[in-house]
Amino acid sequence: MIDIDAIVKSIKKLPPFPNVATRALEILDDPDASVDRLISIIQYDQAITANVLKLCNSAYYGLRRKVHSLREGLVLLGNAELKNIILASTAVKFFHKENRGYDLAKGELWKHAVATGIISRIVSNRVTESEPPSLFTAALLHDIGKVVLSRLVDRYFEQIIALVNEGRHSFLEGESEMLGIDHAEVGAKIAESWNFPEDIVQAIRLHHRPEEASDDDPLTPIIYLANIITLSMGIGVGRDGLSYRGKEEVMKRYGLKAKDLQGIVIDFYDEYNKVQDILKLS
Amino acid sequence: MNITVGIADMKVSDDPGVTLVTHSLGSCIGLAVYDPVAKVGGMLHYMLPESELDTKKAKTRPLMFADTGIPVLFKACYNLGAAKGRMIVKVAGGAQVMDASGIFNIGKRNYAALRKIFWRNKVIIDGEDIGGMVNRTMRLSIATGELSLKVSGQGNRIL
Repeated sequence: MIDIDAIVKSIKKLPPFPNVATRALEILDDPDASVDRLISIIQYDQAITANVLKLCNSAYYGLRRKVHSLREGLVLLGNAELKNIILASTAVKFFHKENRGYDLAKGELWKHAVATGIISRIVSNRVTESEPPSLFTAALLHDIGKVVLSRLVDRYFEQIIALVNEGRHSFLEGESEMLGIDHAEVGAKIAESWNFPEDIVQAIRLHHRPEEASDDDPLTPIIYLANIITLSMGIGVGRDGLSYRGKEEVMKRYGLKAKDLQGIVIDFYDEYNKVQDILKLS
Repeated sequence: MNITVGIADMKVSDDPGVTLVTHSLGSCIGLAVYDPVAKVGGMLHYMLPESELDTKKAKTRPLMFADTGIPVLFKACYNLGAAKGRMIVKVAGGAQVMDASGIFNIGKRNYAALRKIFWRNKVIIDGEDIGGMVNRTMRLSIATGELSLKVSGQGNRIL
């Protein structure tokens, strides 16, 4: 069994979630905050500002006029959407590196993150009255643990995949058995170290174990489904492959059938074509 | 030169310098066809089994579905001089997550749709690598007709 302390240490070595983004997200959650305060914070971060403008002008939002400034972007898209954009603009740098442990080329884990984000919104649209505010954030970050666990998975891959091939373990359960911790739990610890809200931490932690989520948790089951659909399609999937559990009870909970799944795949295709700009962020 | 076949996409070629490649074959199916005499090849990457699910979408995106995409691929190869009787047909993909109930199993439905169409049109499959819990990448060399597969967690092999 691996020393969990070593994993916690490598979580601490991960760059902090940028302060600018954390503060911007707080302001966007505060109904009394002013646009000026938000802009005064973001404008000093060149990378985030550039990415925000690029995303505002992407086909995904389909705005008729070109957005030239943060102020315009905020007015046209509104707080909730701008929050998603700031988050995506910030998160990308954590996902961009090649991931040897899971054998994901540069950009593949980000592709998986964005696809899961899009599908979570499509699923949410079908099964809930309104989209939970943290949905896109949590969906985008659900596999952040893979970034830290990569090195260990690389070292123990043969043992983990042997467990999977015996037929009783999912890859997640194999990680847990061989490493003493899985990528979902590592991800939750990272989100905690970034002081993310509890609902996001919990959704990351349980994204393969939705049955353990509390009944009033709107995020986890939707992110679970979105991730399983993204995995099924093979988008940003590494050598862990599709070895994760598909749980029929989550489909039943929302009254979803096999045909609905295909409908979600169709909706996804259109949206995915519009987000090529998001995939190219750096 | 590598030419990438995207999702719900198809490419055909008679240029011996070309290799057709498609990535991310999870539940999707990659279908590669090749005429060794005309040295014409084509590749389709479809996502879903039946176009009746969304007939409007099937009109604008026929390559998304097995039943509308497969005929388009064969016709495009015939247009480059390929002949049906000489066509070598290989198939990969149709994977699935761990799911005893089968509700998530789009891969199996995708493969069943292909078998149905081939049976009806008397097309024989010369090689296939289907199912499992793996992700696949498929490459077809137009010069030689060689079809290579990269299977997640297993490495490369020739089909």
